[in-house]
Amino acid sequence: MANNYFNTLPLREQLAELGKCRFMHLAEFTEGVDALKGKKIVVIGCGAQGLNQGLNLRDSGLDVSYTLRAEAIEQKRQSWKNATENGFTVGTYDELLPTADVVLNLTPDKQHTPVVNAIMPLMKHGACLSYSHGFNIVEEGMQIRDDITVIMVAPKCPGSEVRAEYVRGFGVPTLIAVHEDNDPNGDGLALAKAYAVGTGGHKAGVLMSSFIAEVKSDLMGEQTILCGMLQTGSLLCFDKMIEEGIEPGYASKLIQYGWETTTEALKYGGVTNMMDRLSNPAKIRAFDLSAQMKDIMRPLYKKHQDDIMNGTFSKTMMADWANDDAELLGWRADTAETAYEKTDAADVEIAEQEYFDNGILMVAMVKAGVELAFETMTAAGIIADSAYYESLHETPLIANTIARKKLYEMNATISDTAEYGCYLYNHACVPLLSDFMKDIKSDVIGKGLQLDDDGVDNARLIEVNEAIRNHPVEQIGGILRGYMADMKRII
Amino acid sequence: MINQDAVCLDALSVDFDGRFQLSDIRWTIQPGEHWLITGANGSGKSALAAVLAGEGECLSGSRSGLPDRVALVSYERQAELIEAERRKDDADILDVISEGTPVAKIIDEVCQDHELAQALVETLGLRPLMGRAFRKLSTGETRKVMLIRALTSRPELLVLDEPFDGLDHDSLTWLQAHLRVLAKTVPMVIVLNRFDECPEFITHIAYVDHGHLLHQVKRDDESAFAELYQLLHLKMSELEVPMADPAVRLPALNSGDPLVRLTGATIRYDDNTVFENLDWTIEANEHWQLSGPNGSGKTCLLSLITGDHPQCYVNDIMVFGFQRGTGESIWQIKQYIGYVSSALQWEYRVGTGLRNVIISGFFDSIGLYTKSTETQKAIADQWLALLGMTARADEPFNRLSHGDQRLLLIARAMVKHPPLLILDEPCLGLDDLNRQLVLALIERICTSSETAVLYVNHRLEDHVLGIDKHLTLSTPSV
Repeated sequence: MANNYFNTLPLREQLAELGKCRFMHLAEFTEGVDALKGKKIVVIGCGAQGLNQGLNLRDSGLDVSYTLRAEAIEQKRQSWKNATENGFTVGTYDELLPTADVVLNLTPDKQHTPVVNAIMPLMKHGACLSYSHGFNIVEEGMQIRDDITVIMVAPKCPGSEVRAEYVRGFGVPTLIAVHEDNDPNGDGLALAKAYAVGTGGHKAGVLMSSFIAEVKSDLMGEQTILCGMLQTGSLLCFDKMIEEGIEPGYASKLIQYGWETTTEALKYGGVTNMMDRLSNPAKIRAFDLSAQMKDIMRPLYKKHQDDIMNGTFSKTMMADWANDDAELLGWRADTAETAYEKTDAADVEIAEQEYFDNGILMVAMVKAGVELAFETMTAAGIIADSAYYESLHETPLIANTIARKKLYEMNATISDTAEYGCYLYNHACVPLLSDFMKDIKSDVIGKGLQLDDDGVDNARLIEVNEAIRNHPVEQIGGILRGYMADMKRII
Repeated sequence: MINQDAVCLDALSVDFDGRFQLSDIRWTIQPGEHWLITGANGSGKSALAAVLAGEGECLSGSRSGLPDRVALVSYERQAELIEAERRKDDADILDVISEGTPVAKIIDEVCQDHELAQALVETLGLRPLMGRAFRKLSTGETRKVMLIRALTSRPELLVLDEPFDGLDHDSLTWLQAHLRVLAKTVPMVIVLNRFDECPEFITHIAYVDHGHLLHQVKRDDESAFAELYQLLHLKMSELEVPMADPAVRLPALNSGDPLVRLTGATIRYDDNTVFENLDWTIEANEHWQLSGPNGSGKTCLLSLITGDHPQCYVNDIMVFGFQRGTGESIWQIKQYIGYVSSALQWEYRVGTGLRNVIISGFFDSIGLYTKSTETQKAIADQWLALLGMTARADEPFNRLSHGDQRLLLIARAMVKHPPLLILDEPCLGLDDLNRQLVLALIERICTSSETAVLYVNHRLEDHVLGIDKHLTLSTPSV
């Protein structure tokens, strides 16, 4: 196994790379897809990202074909079907790669090393290799041939969304980066920009980052607030509601759709707006619960960030890869057996506001997780912009997957890497919060405060509001959402 | 005093001197109901009113429960009376100047309540005209005389065809007040083509179209009432289909080139062939109807044209001058096409305001992501006016009724005046009333623009005027 690339860099460069993140303006994309026009784009892998990105690129007037392993073609596997039924040319590595100008590696992380080792000798001199996640380069230290340009274009949404938004005439926020060690012709950025335009990403906002910033912030966000906190929160809140005698179907539904509903408020106006959706007494309760949880969970967030930074996490996970994913598959099976996962949502009407009123603890968990992830990332040298996108910005997207089909759907949609990290977090966080949960009653999860009088102390409310609004994630969020206002959907 | 029998027209078809027919009218007026009859010009609403007064030759069906004294005020009655007066004028034969029947006598002929008659003559300012010949009155004055005749005849059913037309303001106010009182004792049927004049006491509305009684709606059914209002507006409004945005110029097509040419088109999944070897050319300004059973691939075929079907890249397709698969983008194709389908409606689940939904048609997007110009906003407002939705411009789209959403999406598809408008079962899932609305809008578009229309439909009665070419897909091969 090669060296962890990040660990080979001097601190000065590590910090410089972690600090890269800039929101690009629409005006920087006036050249459209020109840099890719007429070039032969070959996609490796035809799963959700591979297929949907390819459909978008072709509909943008680009020449796209798919290369699959010979077995996948011979056995007419799903990936072969995906590509052929959509009218794409499909060929083996040997058939397509030698003439490819741009190769998009859209296989899962764990296949990157064998895939890249197999394709590199076939790629023509001066071609471009694109990733949608930097794990292989940063954590596994993959060395790419010097003449090859290495870029990253990472739509920050599941593949199905990448396609759906494109068809609507929009796109999904996209992160792009150029691997500085592999930019022999100096056109890496132009290619990455054209690729982002081809998938529609430029309309929704493009962040220019680095491979390192992407990996370290992405891993941290997905393990903690995005997937980990939502999974832990789902399990704890459900069990508590059952303990408190809430009807199981109602409890299941409150959680399944509660994350989506409450984080929708987050999307539009940050933590402030999400908290403002609560009544004043409920807001103060959520604030206090969140503060307690932040104190309890802070060491866990630090541990996750430290393990990600020093390579412990990737090493642990890669050991499981080598062991045929024994841990991952076992944990996945365990999750499917949880009471929450096995209880279907009841067919009861829950009004939008009721998700807030009866889900005070869930709101507090989202607030605690977003703020902690953001604080921990920025303390580790990740720039605030990156930290915002990898915490607050993506939470609603993950919440949407839970709304579709609970934790199963979330874990099926996210990468194996995210899923593995999510379980690690969950296993540590559930016991960590067990004492805290003992004091929780149905007034903050399941039934709502049900007060006769919504009165609060003015001074306390002002104090709480100030604390919410002045958190650094709210500061950067205000700026970034402002940038995006120019280009975001007018709905 | 109130007639205790229901008036019942059962499967009634009536002929009016071979000029007009009402067909298969099924209508019951229960005691205590007051009806408004409405419909576009020439729809037969006056004929329906006249039927209540016993007019027309009954071809089939029956009318029952009509009281003895039905008073009808209508232009036709007015014209008949004037015509009769004219015939009495035998000046040509006797070489004397005929004075004609004086107004007082005309009123007296049918009067059952002289006290009321005197009061009405005063109120309506006819006193100075009582001695004048009826046929020398102005139209408005004649109308007042007709009203007095009807009101003083102790009617058991009062049928008023456009009673407010041509009345001066004071008379109008008086008449409205008088009818309000009268409504407590006399059932009324009033013909109006403007909803905003609909009196408070009306309990039901009948909508007539092409000699058929198409819709019967209760006054307190607010959504149906609103839809009828809109339908009438679409049929009657003199507003034009708004122009395209002059600032947006589509790249011109070579004249003589077809809009669409499919050669040997085939769609296949695994071993399942949806259709194969299909040739089809659509020339500019042609209107096509596409039909075929479920599963015959109608929507697939359309999506080959719009570029939404991925197999468009493996077919020989020439659209708007682009040979597909040669480096064009789908947005270059879509700019030439307006598209409406129930699938689009399903996709279009956004809370965008109505104005923005229409504007999104300029950009072929679902939702609006691009800043629009003042001109585009103005054009969108003209469409809203045409649809009768001006007051609702900022309402969220996803709160509209199904039918209203469909209308809006048609306006969205048409807003840029595309060379090709594709309507994939635009009436699917709509009730009768909303179907009428959609068809009325499509008809206005077909007859007032240069857009070629490609229309997919199952139902024969949803035929649109002006669509003369047909392509029928057969049942899929198994």
